[in-house]
Amino acid sequence: MSAPGTGADGGRAAAADAGRDPPGQARLRQLAEEQAALRRVATLVARGIDPAEIFSAVAEEIRQLLGADNAGMSRFEPDGTSVVVVGADRAGSDPVPLPAGTRVELRDWIPSGIVWRTGRPTQADEDLWSTVSDPVADRLRELGIRSAAASPIIIEGRLWGIVSAWTRRGRFPPGAAARLANFTELLATAVGNAESRAELAASRARIVAAADETRRRIERDLHDGTQQRLVSLGLDLRLAQSLVPAELRELETEIGRIADELSGVVEDLREIARGIHPAILSEGGLGPALRTLARRAAIAVELDIAAMARLEEPIEVAAYYVVSEALTNATKHAHASVVRVAVADRDDCLHLSVCGDGAGGADPARGSGLIGLRDRVEALGGSFEVSSPPGEGTLISVQLPLRRH
Amino acid sequence: MLVIDNRGVATPPETAEAPEDRRAPRVVLADDDILLREGLASLLDRSGFDVVGQAGNGVELLAQVRSIRPELAIIDIRMPPGHATEGLQAARVIRAEMPGTAIIVLSAHVEVEEAMELLAGGEGTGYLLKTRVTDVAEFIETVGRIAAGGSVVDPSLVQELIRARRRRDPLDVLSPREREVLALMAEGASNAGIARRIFVTEGTVEKHVRSILTKLDLPESETEHRRVLAVLRFLETR
Repeated sequence: MSAPGTGADGGRAAAADAGRDPPGQARLRQLAEEQAALRRVATLVARGIDPAEIFSAVAEEIRQLLGADNAGMSRFEPDGTSVVVVGADRAGSDPVPLPAGTRVELRDWIPSGIVWRTGRPTQADEDLWSTVSDPVADRLRELGIRSAAASPIIIEGRLWGIVSAWTRRGRFPPGAAARLANFTELLATAVGNAESRAELAASRARIVAAADETRRRIERDLHDGTQQRLVSLGLDLRLAQSLVPAELRELETEIGRIADELSGVVEDLREIARGIHPAILSEGGLGPALRTLARRAAIAVELDIAAMARLEEPIEVAAYYVVSEALTNATKHAHASVVRVAVADRDDCLHLSVCGDGAGGADPARGSGLIGLRDRVEALGGSFEVSSPPGEGTLISVQLPLRRH
Repeated sequence: MLVIDNRGVATPPETAEAPEDRRAPRVVLADDDILLREGLASLLDRSGFDVVGQAGNGVELLAQVRSIRPELAIIDIRMPPGHATEGLQAARVIRAEMPGTAIIVLSAHVEVEEAMELLAGGEGTGYLLKTRVTDVAEFIETVGRIAAGGSVVDPSLVQELIRARRRRDPLDVLSPREREVLALMAEGASNAGIARRIFVTEGTVEKHVRSILTKLDLPESETEHRRVLAVLRFLETR
C-alpha cells in the first residue's frame, strides 16, 4: 500500500477545519486518518464479511476522507456502461442521487470513462463537461458536480470497476485520485474473495449433484439390471427343480437350497440399493421418503411434515440426508428415545429441524457425519446449525433456500 | 399343473379348487425385461394360468388389456420410457376402464404410499416385491387369490409398518399371537388362510380377529379387501 500523494496540499476539498493546524500537522493528521480508515476496511475484508457491507464502509470512509458529496463503487458492464454498486451520500438536505443500480454511459471526459480507457487513477473537473452538449453532461450539470476522482479496481488482471468520489464544492485537490487508489487493492481483495466463495459454492454444489446422480444411476442399475437377472435366474432354478425326476430327491433338494440362497442375495441387494439411493425420494418426493425413513428407524420418530409440493431435487436429497444422518446419530451415539422431525416450506425456504432427547454433546467439528451434511447444505446456499449442550439433547436446524420459477 | 413347493411337496393352485370356473384365468404380463417376462410366463403357464399377452411397456400393456380383457394383469412398476412408476400409471388406467381386471404390480422395492394408492382402486389388487416370484409355490397361490378378487400386500411392507417404533404404541395392547394375526390380515390373508398359516382352526382365528378389532377400535369390514385397507391405514397412521 503506498502512502498518500505527498505533494498534495491538504486533504478535504471542503473540510472546514483544514486551515486550523499548521500545514505539516494537517498532513500528518490526514495521513493518520487515512491509515485508520484503511485499517478499518482491511479488518472488514479479513473477516470475510459480505462484500456489500465492505463496499458501504469503504464508500463512507472515502466520502469522509475526501470531504466528498458522494463516493461509491461502480462496476463496468460489457455494454460500455458503468453501474453503481454502492454509493454513500453526504448526510444533509441536498444529497447527490446516485443510488445503487444507476447506470452511467461511459464518456471520454468523465472519470469512469477515462479509467476505462487508461486503466489509471484520474481526476476530472467541470471544465471537461460544462460546455458539452450530451445527456451525461446535462445530468452532471444538473447535479451540480464540479469535480470527480476515480481509481480502477483490478481483480486478477481484469478491470472490474472503479471507486469514485464527487463533489459540488470546488475541486478535489491534486492527489485525490491517488488516495482513492489506496483503497482499491482492499476492494479488489474483497470482491475477489466474494467471487471465489461463490465459485467454490457452485463447484461444491456441482460435485454433490454429480455424486448424487451417480448414486441414483447405481441404484437403478442394481434394481433394473442385477436384481432382474438374479430373479430371472431364480425362476430358471425353480423350473429346473420342478423337472428333477422323483428318484433324484437329493438333487431336487440341493437346487431348492440354491434358489433359497439366491433369494437371500436378492434381499441383501435390495437393502444395499436402498442405502445407495432411496428410490422413493425420486419417485414420491420428500414426504413419502421421510415417512419411510421414520418407519425404518430404530427409534420412535414423530414427523411433522407440512403439506408441500415437489421441491428441486438437490433440496430434497439434502433434506433427506440431514434427517437420515440425524436419526442414525440419535440412535447410535445419543441413545435418544424419541426424535421429532419438522419440515415446512415457507418464505421461499425449506425449514427443517430434527430434535432428539438424547445425550447431546454432538460436535459438527469433530469428524462426524454432520460435516458432510453442513457441506451439502451450504453448497445449496443454506444454513446448518447444531445445538447440542451435553445432557440436553441435540437440535439440528437447517434452512434451504428454494428457487421459485 | 402341479407346483413343487420349497419342501418338494406338490400343491395345486388355490384357484383350481373353484368349482364353477375351471377355465384357467387369462393373464397379460408387462415387463420390459424379456428374459424375466418369459420366465414368469412359463411359470404361470405351468401353474394353471393362461398367459394370453405380453407387453414391454405401458402403452402395449393398455392396448392388450383393452382388446383381450384378461382376468389378470401382472405389471412391472418400472418400465420404459422413464423407468419410474409407469406400471402404476397403467394400473390406474386399467382400474378406471376395466374394474373387473385384477392387477398385480411387481416392484424392486415396496412403498406404503404406492400400496395405499393401488389398493384404494378396488379389490383384486396385489402389490408385491418382484423377488416373490422365485418363491414359486407361494407366489402362484397369491396370484390365484388375487385373480379371485383378493387383495395382497407384500409381507415385507407389512413388517415395516408393524415394526415402526411409536412412543405410545397402540399395538402394545396386542399379544404376540394377535400381532401375528394382524400382520396376516394386513397382507390380505383370509381367516381360513390365516388358520392354515399359523396352524389353528378358523374359529380360533375369528376370535383373534374380533379381539384385535376391539382392542384397536377398528370397525368390522365387509370384505377382506376393505379389511386390508383398514388395517394398513391404521398401521400407517397409528
